Amino acid sequence: MLGLVIPIIIIAVWEFFAIQANNPALLPRVGDVISRLVHPFTDLLDTGSFVRHIIVSASRVVLGFILAAVIGIPLGLLVGRYLLFHRLFSPVIELLRPLCPIAWIPFAMAIFKTYTIADIFGAHYTTNIFGHIQLGMLFVIFYGGFFPIFLNTVHGVKSVKHLYIESALLLGADQNRLFRKVIFPSSLPSILTGLRVGLGISWMVIIAAEMLPGSDAGIGYLIMFSYELAEMDILIASMILIGAVGALLSYGVKVIADRTSVWQAKER
Amino acid sequence: MSFLRVSNVKKTYLGERKEKVIALSKMSFDCRDGEFLCIVGPTGCGKTTLLRLIAGLEQPTSGNIMLADTTIQGLNRETTLVFQQYSLFPWLNVIDNVCFSLEMKKIPKKSRYKKAKKFIELVGLTGFEKSFPYELSGGMQQRVAIARALAHNPKLLLLDEPFGALDERTRHRLQAELLAVWQKEKKTVVFVTHNIDEAIFMANRILIMRDRPGCIDDEIKVDLARPRDRRSQGFLKMHIKIREILEKILTANNQGGETYH
Repeated sequence: MLGLVIPIIIIAVWEFFAIQANNPALLPRVGDVISRLVHPFTDLLDTGSFVRHIIVSASRVVLGFILAAVIGIPLGLLVGRYLLFHRLFSPVIELLRPLCPIAWIPFAMAIFKTYTIADIFGAHYTTNIFGHIQLGMLFVIFYGGFFPIFLNTVHGVKSVKHLYIESALLLGADQNRLFRKVIFPSSLPSILTGLRVGLGISWMVIIAAEMLPGSDAGIGYLIMFSYELAEMDILIASMILIGAVGALLSYGVKVIADRTSVWQAKER
Repeated sequence: MSFLRVSNVKKTYLGERKEKVIALSKMSFDCRDGEFLCIVGPTGCGKTTLLRLIAGLEQPTSGNIMLADTTIQGLNRETTLVFQQYSLFPWLNVIDNVCFSLEMKKIPKKSRYKKAKKFIELVGLTGFEKSFPYELSGGMQQRVAIARALAHNPKLLLLDEPFGALDERTRHRLQAELLAVWQKEKKTVVFVTHNIDEAIFMANRILIMRDRPGCIDDEIKVDLARPRDRRSQGFLKMHIKIREILEKILTANNQGGETYH
């Protein structure tokens, strides 16, 4: 109940200023935004509904994120465990890490143009979802998700207790099973933290990428488009949806994480 | 014919300021098959290093260690080491922890569970198979660690102050349990402890270590009848004798501050 206090205050302040301004192109009334939100399947400004835009954005994020996880986790395991890989990768990673994913967007747009996944399969004119997954966007999402996943995996592997490794070795584990049965499960809580952070960043990056020219769908695109047409109710409704979907994604990973690493929470 | 033979082992390593530290020097002793050998000594005398060398987790600088006529080179999987710190895998429940070595031997799940249950029963934890380490007390965790070590079926069981972190009552109970297991399984045990009482209660023979550098100072055969009575004359006499030896070591070092109980 206490958690509702601040949202109620915010809504009240918002409503107060909206009435004062009396200009829906500047600040719409709360009711207008809510009436947009309760019709998620209605077409907006001839671009499609909220649901469609969210599906487009979410599929971009999920695909880029899976890519980041599929590369980030194994690479993190290797870099965390083997000095050779650590020496090979750490300089380039230290260099790329502070480079914000959004800074890559213009570069990615220049390189990948508007090519989509569908183009790879030779179908440029298509209405299915793959026609909306631009390679450039995929790249920046991957980039945004990769570092938290990778770095948390490395950290997880490096903090596996020596005691567990020695016990496992004495109990007959070979290198392969030491990895699978000890190092991986022991780093899992840290890996899942990385996935959660990475997914959050991916979601932020996609919104930014979609706001740039060249994009034609997605919730970030809808925000920019409604800004250009001064449709502030759609703009604010979109922002609320971005927050809600982001929270939902994060919650989803947290549920999985809590289930797989109860032991870690209890150990502290 | 000795089962474990440590001969003239020296172990040095680099300290924090890159200085050479001699952990063990001229370390030699034998251990018979089936013997329960206790090693006592002041803190930092290299007791733990010795066990790590026997387990092959570290290599001696010189000298050699033989187990059943084979020189130990690299990891020695004929032994299992039970650590003082709780070393159970926290992401596995009790039965999967006990099963770990059986899983490594690729024994199918059904038969390894059957085997593991036997060892869980042996340490008196039937009913806790599905519990996780964080749900168990320290004493219970160490019992599981012993069961896990036994399931591996090592020729030699190494224990590094396994009951050191436990309260006295639990400690006494676990000592009696470990003795029962030892008698039943007929294992050779090397048990490192800080506690004289524990050593006399458990051992066939006690080695007393000196520090700086660590080596054997004295050896005492414990010929008291089992089960041993802590209040018997023989027990108390032996206690005083070992205590005097240890105090002499400490005074020689002018170290003080440390007491034996």
